[in-house]
Amino acid sequence: MLLFRGEEHIDRWCQSRDIKRGATLTPEQGWQLADGWYKEKLKPEWRRHTLEETEALLASVGLIGSFWNLRD
Amino acid sequence: MVQTSDTSDAVLRQVRLFVFRQAADTARVPQPREIAAALGRPQSEVEEALRQLAAGKVLILAPNDGNIWAANPFCAVPSPFRVETRGKTYWGICIWDALGIVATLGADAVIRAACGDCSEPLLLKIKAGKLTRSEGIIHFAVPAHHWWDNIGYT
Repeated sequence: MLLFRGEEHIDRWCQSRDIKRGATLTPEQGWQLADGWYKEKLKPEWRRHTLEETEALLASVGLIGSFWNLRD
Repeated sequence: MVQTSDTSDAVLRQVRLFVFRQAADTARVPQPREIAAALGRPQSEVEEALRQLAAGKVLILAPNDGNIWAANPFCAVPSPFRVETRGKTYWGICIWDALGIVATLGADAVIRAACGDCSEPLLLKIKAGKLTRSEGIIHFAVPAHHWWDNIGYT
């Protein structure tokens, strides 16, 4: 997950590597995602998110659609 | 050789907590020898615990040895995603993890990253749990279902 100055920079990066453009997030979405994903990591009772919890987190940040699908 | 059964849940938990607390407190990810010395356990047992934690996607080992590459979100080596907080410098393996370091520590921070295309510096600031300054756009090249196929690439 990289940070780019703008859309044209993402396009150029993808073209230079001959890879398909993926999905984009605003930094605010990235912050909300990171906060939900990591804020418990130092706690003794931490455990990985379940599939359902991850889906709920992605959806809460507005990350919905096939790119964000976690299931087969 | 240490048997899997010897690496009990209690040992996994002890190793996990030590690694992540050390990374958070010192901005440096501890490696097997240091972990073993600190916990008073055989290095082989610690290495087996780390392998199991990696298999459980709790952390990421370097490809060719038993060292920790990232105790996500804390990266063991410098990267283009630098986090400055609490008078220390941390590194994330990607922008998600750089933001994750701030979330994990719960502290105000400045993230100094670079554009993945042109390497121009980009700055983000978090204060009191809010993103107060941001630049750029985050790009995920890999669909969510395939993130762990090759987490280094992701």
